[in-house]
Amino acid sequence: MLRRLILLIGVAAAVLLHPTAASAEPTDVSVKAAFLPRFVRYVTWPPAAMPHGSDPFVLCVIGSDPFGQLLDQAAGTQSIDGRHIVIRRMNSAAAAGDCQAAFVSTNRLDELSDFGGRPVLTVTDGSAAGPHGIIHFVVVGGRVRFFIDQALAERRHLNISSRLLALALGVRQ
Amino acid sequence: MPAFQWRAAAAATALCVGLGSPALAAETAPQGPDDLTDLSIEQLAQIQVRSASKREEPLSSAPTALFVITSDDIESSGVTSLPEALRLAPNLSVQQVDASQYSISARGFNGLQAGNKVLALIDGRSIYTPLGSTVFWNLHWPLLEDLQQIEVISGPGGTLYGPNAVNGVINVTTKDAQDTLGAVVRGTAGGNEQTAAARYGFQIGKSGAMRVYADWHNVDELPSLGSNVFDDSFRGWQAGFRSDFVSEADKLTVQGDVFHDTSPVEKGDGAHGQNLLARWTRALGPNSSFQLQTYYDYFKRRFSLVDDSLETFDAEGQLNATVGRHELVAGAGARTTRDEFINELNAFNLVPPRRRLWVFNGFVQDRYRLTPEVSLIAGLKLERSTFSGWQALPNLRLAWQPDGRTLLWAAVSRAVRSPSRIDRQLQALPFLAPAPEFTSEKLVAVEAGYRGQPTSMTSVSVNGFVNFYNDLRSTEFVDGHFQLMNGEEGRTYGIEAWGNAQLARGWRASLGVSTLWKDLHNKPGHLDLAVRNSLGNDPTWQVTARTDVDLTSRLHLTLDARAVGPIDQAPKIGSYVEAGGELAFDATKRIQLFVAGRNLLHKTHVESNDPSGAQLAERTIYAGARARF
Repeated sequence: MLRRLILLIGVAAAVLLHPTAASAEPTDVSVKAAFLPRFVRYVTWPPAAMPHGSDPFVLCVIGSDPFGQLLDQAAGTQSIDGRHIVIRRMNSAAAAGDCQAAFVSTNRLDELSDFGGRPVLTVTDGSAAGPHGIIHFVVVGGRVRFFIDQALAERRHLNISSRLLALALGVRQ
Repeated sequence: MPAFQWRAAAAATALCVGLGSPALAAETAPQGPDDLTDLSIEQLAQIQVRSASKREEPLSSAPTALFVITSDDIESSGVTSLPEALRLAPNLSVQQVDASQYSISARGFNGLQAGNKVLALIDGRSIYTPLGSTVFWNLHWPLLEDLQQIEVISGPGGTLYGPNAVNGVINVTTKDAQDTLGAVVRGTAGGNEQTAAARYGFQIGKSGAMRVYADWHNVDELPSLGSNVFDDSFRGWQAGFRSDFVSEADKLTVQGDVFHDTSPVEKGDGAHGQNLLARWTRALGPNSSFQLQTYYDYFKRRFSLVDDSLETFDAEGQLNATVGRHELVAGAGARTTRDEFINELNAFNLVPPRRRLWVFNGFVQDRYRLTPEVSLIAGLKLERSTFSGWQALPNLRLAWQPDGRTLLWAAVSRAVRSPSRIDRQLQALPFLAPAPEFTSEKLVAVEAGYRGQPTSMTSVSVNGFVNFYNDLRSTEFVDGHFQLMNGEEGRTYGIEAWGNAQLARGWRASLGVSTLWKDLHNKPGHLDLAVRNSLGNDPTWQVTARTDVDLTSRLHLTLDARAVGPIDQAPKIGSYVEAGGELAFDATKRIQLFVAGRNLLHKTHVESNDPSGAQLAERTIYAGARARF
């Protein structure tokens, strides 16, 4: 009996030293990174705010970037009416002149007010109250979901498709 | 990707989200979006994620000896009851006493009488009964498929968890209702036990969900050990619900259970009870949140002409805030219990037979980041109960995280076990006199540990402790009668270590070891006559091993084994080795068939030496089916 156990422990100890790769569920960060470029498809900008000619959409990350390469890769797979999406990283809203959409990091939430009425789709993270973007992510029941502030979107002359609104946990009118 | 930025963002999320059910999940590298690119936006919204709040270090996984039993661990082990699931924790000693009763402890003091130093909670509701200072494990049959995880802390948790978290905390959490949509039906049948269970979960509007469940069990008697000949079979059911609602800044949980058990010894023997809990969490800002929780709990037991009942009301509030380099948590709570103990079997009674008790507490804890790698945690709880004045439960911890994969920590804490009704007011005249002077048992614990992921697919934890006890309970002869006193003191020390490894995709193994040395003795002028019954019946060592293998994409095998050292406290029992496991077959996408067993190596073995009624533990084999819709 004891020999059986020692054998088992031996096997367990041996495998402890030789791990190989495996992976479980994706992280919330990678799902948020996958969401961000997709939002662009479901939002209509006023003509003046659209990229010129065949220029790509610009998705900006303001403040510390939680996504890194995840976001670049996710954006690389999307194209909308022939336009690609490029990612730019910066530290303030003032520098975000050409951005159609901006993810505002938790450490730069004070920048949100600097967007004023500019037609930029702002996105924020966290379940916290306080300043939020037009879209903000929450993790509910182990899934990444989001709220939409449609009133704010309208003030910025952004039109959000009903398909995206239907997916929101809540919509502020 | 700049790792430090990623960690900072995740930590902020952890603070906001991690309040309710903290966890420590195994660390793996963030997964690329490759698998996500083909998904529609609707599919993305449904994908299950590992939340940052679980990956980072939330409050209760502050530097401490923590083991987490996951829902996958529970399901793949094939266990059918909560106490059997707790055998998965290498830092717990689990002793089956009879068919329904278990005594479960960490770092010693195990036994039905002595097992009074581990606090247990289910979704924030304490199931530690202040009537006898123990946990009646047989009164709790949550649906195992709906458990989120079981956090097992060995070592004191008094500052955050409150009264009686002296040697450990067992924190059971069930899944958010949003995660249990749809139906589950499960049945198991074997020679000596049968279970059946069903759950249905549904959405309420867009941001709410609810589930209802019921489970039933029928357990045969165990073979008798020595002179303890009695029928310990029992059968019963538990049913309940949990609903969760979320809005922009608020989360509301309302849940409740009702149960009923019968045992055949005398007509009317058994137990029943119910509970109802509400918890509201509000995010106050990006860096702070507030939580309010209240619950009601009632149970009544009757066994061989002895009746007891306990009614509990509890309310507590907690505030979390990050201010600069400080992560603060502060709270306050009040609890009142009303009990009744009527004994028509023998002379032992509580005087008075009914009593209302109160406990009040307030606490504050600060985690201060001295440098990005080093944190100092200082916390203090002040607590006052009907049987004690204000007591201080402080702890001081130092954590060093030289990199994202390594945590080294050390801690000094004080914890107490408040006097229970039995400590103070049990009498059997002229034999045993009540003990109105009985005071709290006290512990000062010194601990240190390492927790880390040496490679991306392994995790290892090693903890050492020295516990200094004072005023432990003794039974002494004073003025012509026996009386409970605080006549023992001493120290215990030991090492706990566990690790697990993902050997390949679909193959996992783990190993755990715990040791315990005890040096407890009479205080000067005291003489304990109850053969130190209060000092526990503890094996000096325990080794557990487990492996999960996906043999094919549809066939899964789990094997576990445990070796438990001898118990030297009279009546002595020898060491034993036992094993169990489950073989599960996914017949279709929705239906799983399995055979499982425990204590497979011997027909019977002696697991507990509890003098008041230990039976032999028995080989148990059963087959079952589980369907999800």
